[in-house]
Amino acid sequence: MHSRTTRRQVLRSSTAVIALPFLESFGFRRFASAAEIVGPPKRIAFLGFGWGITDESWFPDINTPGPDYELPAGLKPLERHKADFSVVQGMWNKYSNGGHAGSTWWLTGANPYAEPGQSFCNTISADQVAANQLGKHTRYASLQFNHSESGDRSGHGIGLSLAWDASGKPIGGENGPLAAYHRLFSKDDTPLEQQKAMLARKRSVLDTVLDNARSLQRGLGKNDNAKLDEYLEGIRDIETRLSKDEQWMGVARPDAPLDEPRSGLVGREEIKMMYDLMVAAFQTDSTRVITYRQPVATLLTSIGNKVFPHDMSHYHSTRGEKLAASQQRDLAQSELLSGLIDKLKSTMESDGSRLFDHVALAYGSNIRTGHELTNCPTVLTGGGAGIRLGENIVVEKDTPLCNAWLAMLQGVGVNVDSHGDSTGPLKNILA
Amino acid sequence: MTFHPHTHGKHAGLFVLAVLLGPLSLSNASEVPRVLMDERHRALLVEHCQGCHGGENAEANFRVDDLSFEIADLQMAARWQKVLGALNSGEMPPEGEEPLSVDAKTNFLDDLANLMVAARKSLGDQKGVITMRRLNRREYRNTLRELLGVEINVTELPADTGSGRYDTVGSNLFMSSTQFEQYMSLGREALEETFAREISAAEKRVVRLEAEQVTQKVADYIEWQIDAKDRATRWMKLVDEATEHPENAAIVEEIRAGPLGKHRHTIYRQWQLFPGVPAPETFGFNTVENNADKAIAALSQYHHRYHHYYMQQPAVDTGAYLAIPNEHPSVLDNASINLLIPYGWPLGEYIVRFRAAITDNATPDRQFIEFGTYPAAQQPISAHHITATMDNPQIVEIPFTLTRGHRNHNDRVLFLREKGVRDDYAHTTRIAKAAREANDDIGRTFSLWVDWLEIERVPNVAESKPPGVAALRSLPLDDRSGPPAANDVRAALTRFAREAFRGQEPPSDYVDKLTGIYLVSREAGTKHSVAIKETLAIILASPMFLYLAEPDAEETRRPLTQHELATRLSYFLWGAPPDSRLRELAEQDHLADREVLVHETMRLLDDPRSHDFVTGFVSQWLSLDRFDFFQVNLDRHPRFDNATRISAKKEVFETVAFLLKNNGSLSDLLKSNYVVVDGLMANYYGLEDVAGDEFRPVKLSADSPRGGLLGMAAIHLMGSNGDDTSPVERGAWVLRKLLNDPPPPAPPNIPQLARLAGQVLTTQERLVAHQEEPQCASCHRKIDPIGFGLENFDAVGAWRTEDHFQVTDENGKPDPNLHKTWKIDAAAKLHSGESFNNYFELRDMIASKSDDFARGFTENLIEYALGRPVGFSDEALVEHVFAQSREEQFALRTFLRELVSSKEFQTR
Repeated sequence: MHSRTTRRQVLRSSTAVIALPFLESFGFRRFASAAEIVGPPKRIAFLGFGWGITDESWFPDINTPGPDYELPAGLKPLERHKADFSVVQGMWNKYSNGGHAGSTWWLTGANPYAEPGQSFCNTISADQVAANQLGKHTRYASLQFNHSESGDRSGHGIGLSLAWDASGKPIGGENGPLAAYHRLFSKDDTPLEQQKAMLARKRSVLDTVLDNARSLQRGLGKNDNAKLDEYLEGIRDIETRLSKDEQWMGVARPDAPLDEPRSGLVGREEIKMMYDLMVAAFQTDSTRVITYRQPVATLLTSIGNKVFPHDMSHYHSTRGEKLAASQQRDLAQSELLSGLIDKLKSTMESDGSRLFDHVALAYGSNIRTGHELTNCPTVLTGGGAGIRLGENIVVEKDTPLCNAWLAMLQGVGVNVDSHGDSTGPLKNILA
Repeated sequence: MTFHPHTHGKHAGLFVLAVLLGPLSLSNASEVPRVLMDERHRALLVEHCQGCHGGENAEANFRVDDLSFEIADLQMAARWQKVLGALNSGEMPPEGEEPLSVDAKTNFLDDLANLMVAARKSLGDQKGVITMRRLNRREYRNTLRELLGVEINVTELPADTGSGRYDTVGSNLFMSSTQFEQYMSLGREALEETFAREISAAEKRVVRLEAEQVTQKVADYIEWQIDAKDRATRWMKLVDEATEHPENAAIVEEIRAGPLGKHRHTIYRQWQLFPGVPAPETFGFNTVENNADKAIAALSQYHHRYHHYYMQQPAVDTGAYLAIPNEHPSVLDNASINLLIPYGWPLGEYIVRFRAAITDNATPDRQFIEFGTYPAAQQPISAHHITATMDNPQIVEIPFTLTRGHRNHNDRVLFLREKGVRDDYAHTTRIAKAAREANDDIGRTFSLWVDWLEIERVPNVAESKPPGVAALRSLPLDDRSGPPAANDVRAALTRFAREAFRGQEPPSDYVDKLTGIYLVSREAGTKHSVAIKETLAIILASPMFLYLAEPDAEETRRPLTQHELATRLSYFLWGAPPDSRLRELAEQDHLADREVLVHETMRLLDDPRSHDFVTGFVSQWLSLDRFDFFQVNLDRHPRFDNATRISAKKEVFETVAFLLKNNGSLSDLLKSNYVVVDGLMANYYGLEDVAGDEFRPVKLSADSPRGGLLGMAAIHLMGSNGDDTSPVERGAWVLRKLLNDPPPPAPPNIPQLARLAGQVLTTQERLVAHQEEPQCASCHRKIDPIGFGLENFDAVGAWRTEDHFQVTDENGKPDPNLHKTWKIDAAAKLHSGESFNNYFELRDMIASKSDDFARGFTENLIEYALGRPVGFSDEALVEHVFAQSREEQFALRTFLRELVSSKEFQTR
């Protein structure tokens, strides 16, 4: 199967990397690559909300495709940006089978059963594909923002963020605004010499555990070795990060364009602040790839709803207050998105163009509503990937969602031919 | 109501029996069976599908005419999955084509859905191969505890559950860079804790709070209130006189005509306008706010009666009575009795003690004291049954561990309060209001009295140290005596790593590297105590510690070495590493002797550490994670408070623990004439004469609905959303967990039933809609009737005979015209044809299927123990364990004994 071959290749190559004296193999190339950039860089962002949307009042009428469509109630708060985003209808992840997993496979399109005998597997997510190429030039290859809720009450499913690494393992991120802020803007006052010593120490720690891994590895067969490879890959990831740290050592973090958020922000306030931090991260070019797994449960309580989030997503059977909660959720989310677009438009790049024009942003969920996994709700915005904006785009039913991701990736200049179960870049959305 | 329930289950793991009767044929027990679609469905495909989807030019390039009725590979499984998806979503047959008959479609979907489960299991059969695995979260915590003697909070690690498999199944236990860093920091945390405890091991401390100190506060406050009223009265008299003065009439008129209205308080608040009136401050009202308000408030003395009432209680000179939080919280100060653990006290084991009694007001529901830390928290740590009366109070002892986690002030404050009075604000208010009304409008009566509360540190002077600590014996743990020599450090690191690696020798170049890191740190000026902890933490993040390896380069299915067997056994029964005795037996090759192995199995089960088996296994086997999904609606279910919730969950574990301890029959979980409860649950169930906090068996009357899992509040809460019941959840749970006949996972993309919204229907009427659509009926015809049979249990497992339904409008407001109450009729007919008239008959019917139950249990136990899914190739093992246990009336230890003695358990 396609996804498995990819994973194997990655495993093989990663093991090879580890076997090399890799500590020296990462050079100091920041300035060399910076010279290649012309004009403001392209950025990509994905915003995921677990439990989907209200079927009846969120989607535009599929019979009015194109620019002349009426905004449905659930998207009304986006009215002022109507010319600057598109709703895409008809896409899905064909393998997805988790009625409670709005985010696990959303950006990967993986088949959860691709590995015989396992009840779960995943593959790399679109943002990480982007990070592999766009991430070279920034302090952080990508940032994974995540909600600050405990447990999964927001219908995201398994995972630590929206992001999954090259071997299909979940990537952790910053849970809530305060953590995100500190990652981006905390000043490190440690003297350079000491930073270098700390780095050297971290490397000798990695070297020591790798040594122990090799001792263990000697007696293992193929299967068990593959398991231990996960550990080795984890160490390799840290090593890559350390090399990146080394590149950026002595380069001060940018001044924060906003104040430190107060602690304990939840729900609507949390999302609003995270959106501000996303803009700040792009503005300071701290990263060019961001995902955000948004809170839904605390969003509901923060707008005064007591309905249980999962029950809300099954409003179909009783309607009443559950339907009302579901629609209020849609409105709150659309208002927040609208605010983010405002901000992207009002933030200027160094050449005077709008940040909005260089960002490609997708907003959606793998769950439509209830346990429905078809016609995944999708809003695309930003001028970064050359996506057609201002339209109600209705594509052929059951088009792979990964076709849209592929078009976005290629649009921001990522050199990639396929992603997940894609069959080609989604032509319908290209301007 | 949820029409498509959560079906995270061990879906592929529980299927053997149903599958054998269904879509599989089995020529002999050891052979992997073939996955076959029933031939009777061929006609449907030919008649309805083949016209378009047949031959070379089939529509959508999808052919059904060459579909094999045997699923032997993934490709064929994928094609059948597509058929299932198209029918479930209603996409096929397309509009305009002749629809399938309801019956034929229902049966087709029923068989096909189950076939896909069987295919997944068959194609995923690992043929006995066990993937090497790391310690899961719970084992990691336990392993650190055994090694270092401290238990740390590991909740930041992934839970390792939720993939639908046990947390022991290696193929689902992942590792990442984030997790490696977490291991480094948690290991360091555990070492910090260990060192801190060791350094102060012998210290003894005790502090006691006499509860009657509350009394003086109340007395002082009453005095203050009387005085304040007097002062306020005198001041207001002066204001009144000023307002009555004719020359001030205009001012009064102006105030009254103003926006604040005519109330006399408005005039007091504007006393400055009247010449010559002194400030309220001169009468002793001195706050930064408008002190006229303070004077006004002093006049009302709303709390006065209640405080007097308190002072009239008989034992306020020797102790305190517990009140309810929102009755004057800032004043009476006895909503909880609080005691701060002084800062600077050493970490380690403590005992909290208090002396308490019940008063004449203590109805059975009001005889419990909650203990916890952080007095404002809604969640207590435990609840304690007080049955002693005032003439002879009782002393309660609670073990308590002070850790590095108790840093914040509030986390160091111990509290005692009456059970259930602080679960949430609205609930507290309701209790207070009802209690006030019942007590002549004075305030809530007092049911519990506390004499004193104390905390004492228990010095740890035990000779034997945890093995990880013992390994460091030659090293100083602090920096007072100067740093150790390099070779002493190296020797200690070697010993520590050997213990951490469960007896395996650490490679010497690895120890060299560790020693090097320590020395470099020291050279850089790091103190010994810091450098050694940082170095030891590396060991606790190394693969030989984190992974349970049974290496074999050729991947042969060889017998386990003795040490491997010891490790497998102890992680199975303790979730923790083997102790020294088990390691010695392995060293001497004694575990090969079945008698010794069985004896050790029983010894491990008798050890308190086996509690991890009970909680670790049972919570996953019975899917108890759902228990924590929902908040209970306390307005509708006031008795199911947070403390009850703790005990209700414990009841499940304690019942299994009781069976395990006494080698009782697994069948007791289906039906029994006893429950295993503490005083709290006994009271919840209305059982009398059960006093105290111990869980113990209590005999039931013959007509009791309790006894067995189906009588437990915890099980019924899981089959609800904390507010209303969900017969679907309950039915599916019974099929999955008790009858070993799990319905296939809820399929995505099924059209939602919406047409009944807003109608006033009984639960049963509403769910009957499931029978209309074949996509629903194919599963729900089996699920729903069982759920109906359990409708006498409300959302929190209390017995009821009536239910009601209220339609709410779009704003969530109940519509008074759309309300219905009905008498519960728990009679139903199962899809298999059997019928029952009430819950008791349903329970008997389920209890008669203890073979199915035991078989499901066996398969689950095997998956948990071996750390891999149970496949068809395990049929012989399942059959053996099952049959042997059946011989012994399913005595619980038999399952474990037979499994541990099996070749599979002893083979890598």
